[in-house]
Amino acid sequence: MSMTRRQALASGAAVLATTIARPAIAAKEPIQVGYLPALTGPSSSTGIGINRGIQLAVQEINAAGGIDGRQMELITRDTQSDPTKAVNGAAELTRGQKVSCVFGPVNSGESLAVVPLLARTNTPQVHPCWVDTLTDPQKYPMCFRNAPTNQQIGGAANRYVVEVLKRKKVAVISDTTGYGTASVNAYVPMLKEKGAEVVYQGNVDAANPDVKPELLRMQSAGAEAIMPWSVNAGFLSRIINTRGQMGWDVPIVGQTTLGIGLIAGLLEKHEYWANVYPNNFRPVCFDGGGKLTDRTNGFLDRLKSAKIEMGDTLLWWIALGYDSPRMIAEAMKAVGTEPDKIVGYLNQLKNFPGVYGDISFTPERHNGYPDEQVVMVEANSLKDGAFKLAPGYSS
Amino acid sequence: MVQSIILTGVAIGCVYALIAITYNVMFSASRVFSFTAGTLGMLGGVFGSLFISRMGLPVAIGFLLALAGGAIFGVVTEIVAVRPVLKSLEQHLYVLSTLALALMVQQFTAIEFSTEQQPFPRLLDLPRVDFDQLFWLPMLACAFVIVGLELLYRHTLIGHAFLAIAEDNYAARALGLPERGLRMASFAIAGGIGALAGFAGGEMLLAFFANAPTLTFYGFVPVALGGMGNNRGAVVAGLLLGLFQQAANFLVGGIFASVAVFTVFIIFLLARPDGLVGSAVGRRV
Repeated sequence: MSMTRRQALASGAAVLATTIARPAIAAKEPIQVGYLPALTGPSSSTGIGINRGIQLAVQEINAAGGIDGRQMELITRDTQSDPTKAVNGAAELTRGQKVSCVFGPVNSGESLAVVPLLARTNTPQVHPCWVDTLTDPQKYPMCFRNAPTNQQIGGAANRYVVEVLKRKKVAVISDTTGYGTASVNAYVPMLKEKGAEVVYQGNVDAANPDVKPELLRMQSAGAEAIMPWSVNAGFLSRIINTRGQMGWDVPIVGQTTLGIGLIAGLLEKHEYWANVYPNNFRPVCFDGGGKLTDRTNGFLDRLKSAKIEMGDTLLWWIALGYDSPRMIAEAMKAVGTEPDKIVGYLNQLKNFPGVYGDISFTPERHNGYPDEQVVMVEANSLKDGAFKLAPGYSS
Repeated sequence: MVQSIILTGVAIGCVYALIAITYNVMFSASRVFSFTAGTLGMLGGVFGSLFISRMGLPVAIGFLLALAGGAIFGVVTEIVAVRPVLKSLEQHLYVLSTLALALMVQQFTAIEFSTEQQPFPRLLDLPRVDFDQLFWLPMLACAFVIVGLELLYRHTLIGHAFLAIAEDNYAARALGLPERGLRMASFAIAGGIGALAGFAGGEMLLAFFANAPTLTFYGFVPVALGGMGNNRGAVVAGLLLGLFQQAANFLVGGIFASVAVFTVFIIFLLARPDGLVGSAVGRRV
């Protein structure tokens, strides 16, 4: 087939046009970020709270021009609180969608399954799960945690019981879930190291409607504080109710779930919620004068103007969600979307100013949350998802 | 300690006994063990919380609606999960069909109602005392069901018809009894009893989708111990189970309490495979 000079010129121009135009189009394509929340299923309350912050942050990032002119697009796969579905979602995000980075999963059980998978696909990952083994710069060099570890959570609670409340005889109880039993096994030796005597240690089926036998055992062993480790609101409320029925005024110190609004609804009397101190995070807590930091107040104003509901969730969940895409966007603005460059940037991140906390990483330490920002709060001070610092903390 | 074992043990035992009766009423009418019995108990608690706490309906109306909801689910169970497999009972397909329906309803409840325990309303505005409504409501519900079923089966024509299809449904049909209608009525009654169990024990168990498998499991133990289809045996076994479980909670505590319950259950069945009041039935070989 012969080709005229005019046809050859036209073809050449077309080829040139497509090759030049492609990067320009790519530069305008949205940057896809994988997102693996648990929006349904039994562990979804955390994911629903985090999701409110994430959506607000992505809206703000895109309204402000995106990442170097490119919009941030969240590719969401609901894990349904199920590790198997989380693995399927992660595989699809990395192999099908080819996302630049993944945030999540937001529950430890799902992350335990997903972190090794993402490590094999060389995808940068940021997650907020507490189980200690979920970061390891040697095994998972692309995985970062922008939340505390179980050691930090248990450490703060143990410090509060032993050093602030001066209680030496402690009862440690959990449900029979993996989280519960792992927490008891991890925290009991930590308590003993601090000089406390663990007079009761037990794992109880959370479906058991009566925990009085366990509390009687704790009482007869001389316990001066109860430390429950469970995310099951029914189980925790039974412990608080039974303590109230027994008229036994020992402090209950432990998991953040002790302070969620649902617990209030499950209590026989609201006054039973006194002397209960859950974990929380200093930047999102009211100080002794009932005030939040300027940064957190500004965030609350943004939540209110965006009409985001706060009464049925916790402020730290929303704040954590809000910070995560902002941190990822900051990395991409600085170094682009290449996985190695994102990881290189995060490895040098110092004091990223989050609402939830200031995050720093080093190549050797991928746990970014600072120890001193993990605190204890008064459970019955819950207002707009935030709490007052427990007695003993300076403002 | 003894007071706590007896009060909580008998109260939870009554809930187990009611779930066991739910199994039995469905079994008598169809020869099918419907594993939706625990789901009915769960729904009783969820309906109570939904109608009274969330929707603000009066307790009496919420109670009647909860029972009606249970009865409707009982009928749906008969139509969807039991009737299609009646022709092949020997293949035990009902295990799959009733479990599948139970799981679907359980997941639907988790998605639409809540994945967390929700508060169940305090039904009577009475001060809290040692012998609280938390304990005596399940006992009262259990007594009401036992007396009600006795009166129904012994002193009414329709009760005699229920007994007839339970004894021999071919003969009952040959006599002109509407077997399908009676079976559906039995499932409706069973649904109401199951929902009553969850409603009466709601303050103790809370409104929670995951109560379904727990009640399915613990409700089946009195059926096995008391003899299949035997309501009196189920009540005695249910009460013994509740008391033993609570005593084990006090004596061994933690997860070992459940282990103790099932160890005794297995040993008992090895010694008396036909249950507490059952007797070995001869069969042609």
